[in-house]
Amino acid sequence: MPFGKLANLLSFLFLLMSFLLIVRNSLSGQVRMFAIQSGILAALAGVVALFGGRLELFGVAAVFAIIKVAVIPSVLNRTVAKIGMQRAVAPYLGTSSTLAVCAVLVIIAFTAMAPITGSDPLPTADGIPLAFAGVLIGLFTTVNRRRALTQILGFLMLENSIFMIALLATYGVPLIVEIGVFLDVLVAVLILEVFVYRIKQNFDSIDVKQLGVLRG
Amino acid sequence: MILVLLLFVPAVASALIARSRNSSRAALIHVWANIATLIAGLDVVQRVYVTKTEIAWNLLRADSLSAFMIAIITFISAITGIYAVGYVNTEFDSSQFRRARLFYALFQLFIFTMLLAVTTDNLGVMWVAIEGTTLATVFLVNLHDNHTGLEAAYKYLILSSVGIALAFMGTVFMYYAAVAQASEIGLSWTSLIAVANRLDPTIVRLAFVFILIGYGTKAGLAPMHTWLPDAHSEAPAPISALMSGVLLNVGLYALIRFKAVADISAGPAFASAWLMRFGLLSLGLSAAFLVSQRNYKRMLAYSSVEHTGIIALGLGFGGYWGTLGALLHMVNHALSKSMLFILSGSILLKYRTTEIRGVRGLLKTAPWTGRAFLCGIFALVGLPPFGAFISEFIIFRAGFAMHSTAYSVIGISLLVVVFAGMLASMNSMLYGSPAEPWDRSDPVRLPLAPVALNVVLLLALGLTLPDGVQEFLGGVLRIVGVSL
Repeated sequence: MPFGKLANLLSFLFLLMSFLLIVRNSLSGQVRMFAIQSGILAALAGVVALFGGRLELFGVAAVFAIIKVAVIPSVLNRTVAKIGMQRAVAPYLGTSSTLAVCAVLVIIAFTAMAPITGSDPLPTADGIPLAFAGVLIGLFTTVNRRRALTQILGFLMLENSIFMIALLATYGVPLIVEIGVFLDVLVAVLILEVFVYRIKQNFDSIDVKQLGVLRG
Repeated sequence: MILVLLLFVPAVASALIARSRNSSRAALIHVWANIATLIAGLDVVQRVYVTKTEIAWNLLRADSLSAFMIAIITFISAITGIYAVGYVNTEFDSSQFRRARLFYALFQLFIFTMLLAVTTDNLGVMWVAIEGTTLATVFLVNLHDNHTGLEAAYKYLILSSVGIALAFMGTVFMYYAAVAQASEIGLSWTSLIAVANRLDPTIVRLAFVFILIGYGTKAGLAPMHTWLPDAHSEAPAPISALMSGVLLNVGLYALIRFKAVADISAGPAFASAWLMRFGLLSLGLSAAFLVSQRNYKRMLAYSSVEHTGIIALGLGFGGYWGTLGALLHMVNHALSKSMLFILSGSILLKYRTTEIRGVRGLLKTAPWTGRAFLCGIFALVGLPPFGAFISEFIIFRAGFAMHSTAYSVIGISLLVVVFAGMLASMNSMLYGSPAEPWDRSDPVRLPLAPVALNVVLLLALGLTLPDGVQEFLGGVLRIVGVSL
């Protein structure tokens, strides 16, 4: 299969995982979708490394896989087990309207990324709008979901999508920056885990609607 | 070399404090580290003044704009750091040693991340460092470990992280535009600005919008400011002082760097228009919350949104005067706001409430705190002879000169609203008779003394601008591509 088509297929599967994540009802199911999405992304990084001749991307793919396929999902699963809460529902918008919004976001992504896809000489450029759609869906999930844990997953999807844009548009940003970004995200997730746990202890729920004391 | 030392001191101090065994030792390392960082910072400024650029090991680089930021960061953190010892000793008793140690260690780490953000030429590393500032401060926001602190810290972390992720996307787009020109550019700002006139303007515009939203979140521009009043009011006073006085400026610094590239590539009108819109919106929104504010720490926090808005307006008006006004206003705001947040700590220690209603007769109960608070508020709202009067005057004069009349007129009217709101609050806190017969004493005395320097500098900036300083600021302006 030619490089461009393979990258495209992986980008498509990546976005599919974002959609599957938002329709999932159980928290552990959502975490699993996120882990699969990260796995697809690591594979994409490997493919770009192989066909694009960027050997350092193999290293990035490996670090990425360790952090986002193994460490972060296990941290999130541990949190799910600790707070003993499985249901992830309670979005502000219901599932069908959420899907409709996300479909519109995909269309917006194709329009917004036109200047980049039009000018990018790389064979991977066609996947960029799909990645950008992932950014928008991640953002939307963060604002639409009331469960703290799903907000964190929205943020992580957003991060994944930005990594993918960098991968598709320029074969990745320099290695040192990439590693720094991974570490920041990892620390952020670890801190967020502590907070989710404390929120659960303090408010007896991880519904962020409870967090409404500070106003005005 | 000195640049390495500048970053080395807070990093090592943080590690040493984390290993220290008692509170006084931690405080000692903390204070000496602050003083050493200040000395190193002033040395960098002085060297950059002579040589224009300092480079260390191909990793760190400081030009005039970096030196400007280093001066603000090291000065404010030294003043705040010294006060912090007094604050911590009053707030935490010896049984809470671990909490005090965590406070000092994260304080130093916070300074390290800010200094790294302004001394790197690599825009990716700058991003990593700025996200690092969020991670270093988030536990400090929740240091008192209560419901509201937890709420503020969670919001702060999730909103800032999402916001700044968008800035990273903008950085990726900028990198994409640069790679199309020459593949070996990397993410270096100096090489980016060198090829800026050849970058594809459509992509630079797209990149700048994301960068403005992303770093605008860190800088506290409305409507991405919603985390700010919570985080700044819940954090312990010395941290609020640093977050409001310095960290917001680091966000603005990132915007200034990218604006310089966008100005060359996409024309100055593009970035200016966006900055002016966000600036005026910030000013308007904060004015609405300032007229009837009941909590003095939130009042100071909303005032930070207001001043970020004024600075964004200055950058948006642009040209020599607009940008100069914005730079001066960054200094004035840093000096006055850090001082006021420091004092808010003393007021809280004295009255044990953050309600404006609960504080009466401050001038009687804590005379030095009250007098300093009076000076700080006057300096903040821009009364002459303090510096903010001059910088606001320069900014709005530039607005009229650049034919942004509507923005200037609305901006000035909003300033009047803020002025009235803040003076009314200040009035009710300083005068009147206290509800209970408090003893007449300042809760923190000696460690508070250094804020006198803030007052002196604010007065100096309002009365004169020495030739040396003017020349230095001229150098900063040349870096971002504006001259008379």
